[in-house]
Amino acid sequence: MTDSSHTSSTNTPSAGTSSASAAALPALPGRWERFRDSYLLYSFKRDVIAQLSLLVFIALVAIAAFAPWLSPMNPYDLAQIDILSSELPPFWIDGSDPAYLLGTDAQGRDMLSTILYGARVSLIIGFGAVALQAVIGVSFGLMAGYLGGRVDAFLMRLADIQLSFSTLMVAIIVGALVKAIFGSATFSTYAVPLLVVIIGLAEWPQYARTVRASVLAERSKEYVDAARVMGLRSKRIMFRHVLPNTLSPIFVISTVQIANAIISEAALSFLGLGMPETHPSLGSLIKAGFDYIQSGSWWITLIPGAVLVILVLSINLLGDWLRDVMNPRLYKG
Amino acid sequence: MSAQAHKTDGTEALLEIRQLEKRFSLSGDFLDQLRFKGGKLVRHQEHVHAINGVTLEINRGEALCVVGESGCGKSTVARIVMGLLSPSAGEIHYGGTRIDNLSSRQLLPFRRRMQMIFQNPYASLNPRMTIQQTLEEPLRLHNPDWNRQQIVEQVEQVMASVGIDPDWGKRFGHEFSGGQRQRIAIARALAVDPEFIVADEPISALDVSIQAQVLNLLMDAQHERNLTYLFITHDLAVVEHFGTRVAVMYLGTVCEIADTATLFANPRHPYTQALLSAIPRLDDDGPQHIRLEGEVPTPVNLPSGCVFHGRCPYANARCKQEVPVLQTQDDGIRVACHAVEEGRL
Amino acid sequence: MALLEVNHLDVHFALRKGDVHALRDINFTLERGERLGIVGESGAGKSVAAFALLNLIAKPGFIAGGEVNFEGKTLNTMSERRLRKVRGNRISMIFQDPMMTLNPVLSIGEQMIECLKAHRRITSKRARAIALDKLHQVQIPSPETRLAQYPHELSGGMRQRVIIAIALLLDPDIIIADEPTTALDVTIQAEIMALLLNLCEQHNVGLILITHDLGVVSQVTQRMLVMYAGRVIEQGPTREIINDPQHPYTQGLINALPQMATPGEQLNQIPGSMPSLDNLPSGCAFHPRCGFVERADGTTRRACIDEVPGFVTSGNCQAACHMVAEMVDDRRLKEESL
Repeated sequence: MTDSSHTSSTNTPSAGTSSASAAALPALPGRWERFRDSYLLYSFKRDVIAQLSLLVFIALVAIAAFAPWLSPMNPYDLAQIDILSSELPPFWIDGSDPAYLLGTDAQGRDMLSTILYGARVSLIIGFGAVALQAVIGVSFGLMAGYLGGRVDAFLMRLADIQLSFSTLMVAIIVGALVKAIFGSATFSTYAVPLLVVIIGLAEWPQYARTVRASVLAERSKEYVDAARVMGLRSKRIMFRHVLPNTLSPIFVISTVQIANAIISEAALSFLGLGMPETHPSLGSLIKAGFDYIQSGSWWITLIPGAVLVILVLSINLLGDWLRDVMNPRLYKG
Repeated sequence: MSAQAHKTDGTEALLEIRQLEKRFSLSGDFLDQLRFKGGKLVRHQEHVHAINGVTLEINRGEALCVVGESGCGKSTVARIVMGLLSPSAGEIHYGGTRIDNLSSRQLLPFRRRMQMIFQNPYASLNPRMTIQQTLEEPLRLHNPDWNRQQIVEQVEQVMASVGIDPDWGKRFGHEFSGGQRQRIAIARALAVDPEFIVADEPISALDVSIQAQVLNLLMDAQHERNLTYLFITHDLAVVEHFGTRVAVMYLGTVCEIADTATLFANPRHPYTQALLSAIPRLDDDGPQHIRLEGEVPTPVNLPSGCVFHGRCPYANARCKQEVPVLQTQDDGIRVACHAVEEGRL
Repeated sequence: MALLEVNHLDVHFALRKGDVHALRDINFTLERGERLGIVGESGAGKSVAAFALLNLIAKPGFIAGGEVNFEGKTLNTMSERRLRKVRGNRISMIFQDPMMTLNPVLSIGEQMIECLKAHRRITSKRARAIALDKLHQVQIPSPETRLAQYPHELSGGMRQRVIIAIALLLDPDIIIADEPTTALDVTIQAEIMALLLNLCEQHNVGLILITHDLGVVSQVTQRMLVMYAGRVIEQGPTREIINDPQHPYTQGLINALPQMATPGEQLNQIPGSMPSLDNLPSGCAFHPRCGFVERADGTTRRACIDEVPGFVTSGNCQAACHMVAEMVDDRRLKEESL
């Protein structure tokens, strides 16, 4: 009789409470199809800068992760360092040694290897600190936003207090304390976790505030009321209902925060408050090579600097793209 | 053990709202309230008087519609009944037991019997949960001893009863239209087999032709499951069609309560009369409503006496000073109006 | 020549899946002082039509074909500069949410004077006097104080009156009102509609009222259009369409109102829902929900499924429906055979 390829299942009016045309929906897409058709992928494919940044970022993370296997030599193995090959320039300048692609530093360590290991440290601290920030910040923000009242007031005042201590200050205080109590050697051994804690503690209010704002917006929506009316407990509503809906802003600020954490660590190391020279990050490498700019061996400081800039730039560009994509759009894309 | 209210014909009231009051503070927390006045530190508090002495009862099996315009407090009443807000004064009794002062643990068994449907279909479903998850959640909570099979079966059953394709289970809320989402919300409410449903403007956000579908669904559900409704709306045409009894609210007070037919045939309160005349009817040739003076006053500073006196064409001196109480008339209508009491209307 | 003529208007939205046709082949006219209602549910395209008249459709929407003629001049091909002289001045618009339309950081007076000075060379003093006069006309109590007040200090009904006053500031020829009272309470709605009707009659201003509320349309307008899935499916004098609708969708819409059903009984509903614009059925967009695709004798009207119906005149009304076309033909044959 009549076709109903993509239309309602009944043709007569007043057919009682007929189903609201189940056949009107297209076939159920799988997860992969959903992703393939999503606006995220669509926007990514059209944005060359986003693609480049992602490529660069993944490349840097990959080589840093595989540093022990990729680097030509181990820069911390004293046996491998030859003081006679110190301050050799990178391969595109006369007087270089092909064994040391990017030259050597003042002690004769291979620059390429030190940069790989240094990037590794920078990234570990960057991701680690952001993970800590996120855990503290998201839980505090969630509690403050959902529970409101005194809890909110207390947590936000805590955040205000935390914000009035700059990262630098926290680093100085913690660094000084640890060195005074446990000695410099201990500080050096535990430098990585200590820096993660320092930067993590300094920046959690960012997450807390963002999440709190999101939670306040979601809390007034009726699905939260529906969950309360159902009899669910606050904790379950917070984590199972509200939190998943506040994830977008968390992703967006995470990229910025990772970039910030890496730069903060680099700044601290440059000032001597961060990673020691025996276990350097990109920042400490920049510091170590700083004095040699005058004597002409610019590569010792500038090449690690360039790597740092490229790393942070790629993260920031990715963050920009992500922010644009996740912006609520006025029309369906 | 509190006494249950009985109507004169012996039917028992399922829900009773007694002398309900609700004030919202506008003044912020303690520090914000301190002001300097005349050289001294004073505590300044401002309130929105959302509800001012509402008494209602809903009998088993009936659909009580609460109508009024924005700011009259009808949604607040609904939220207090469901426990989303706590009253500033007054009591809520359900099936004879007082429920407004219970802890969430004590309230849990009641939550199964009382459910709610919300106004905004676009916000009442969690965007990150599939329909299946949304419908299963209340079942898991209220029936912890059921196994997976039982839960899935119950979900299928309730989906069929509201006309939802079982395939929809794997989808998310945003893939559906407003009317479809409202069906899903109704399914969620019906999943635990409640006896009492509070519907807060459930069809206002929908298109006209979809309103008819959803309203029919609610009526069917009422007949099949012997449900009792507290139906909040501003649409009087829906009330005339769907309600057993009607309560008209204005600025936090109940003006008039009556059987639907009686109220529409013979409205007594001046506000009800104005409200009914303002509905645009299809057979009108031009606007033919009763003109009310002035604007709706703010619920922050309530007018003295009868809250309607500023706009009422029949107000006298007594109306400005004395708050009228609900009084039963011969035909069963309860009206809170001095003019009606004095026989002026 | 009518004051406003819309001919074969097509509006498309360029989405990444392809172009979506939001409006197809819209035709209507408006005479001076006439009041026209555009009725439809959400997704039918009525707001898009309103915005298209003044070429206000934002990207990715665009006018893909047809024209909007005002006093003989084509608006949609006019330069922005010339179009600005028409907007607000000759044709003004009232939107649904008064809080969104008024700038919250400017006082009422500032907004009104700004509007006047944008279109006329007059002094602030003269502008203020005109503003006061218009506020009087919309029956706002104590207009002098209102001029200094900010939008948030006024109630919803008052704000909508202010917006009507702003719309009238330059004595336009046409006011387009897009769901002007949907956000307001019933008693305030009645006041605002009465006011609008009064003002339009007094000043001979044309009104295009866009709404989903049939009751309001029947009270205020002289002619009406019914839209469905981007097309006009019925048009004619309001009273006639409401009393005797020809198109099955219009019939369904009117029958679905609670006023038309017996209390306690099921409402007459239209099954299914409006199709989304990127997934329209073949032929008549309404056919999947229509009870008249099958004739009384059991045969199917293939045209409903295959062909988009054109307009058929029945009395003073026109309906885009194959069934109505058949009825009109039958009637004509009967008359000819007599």
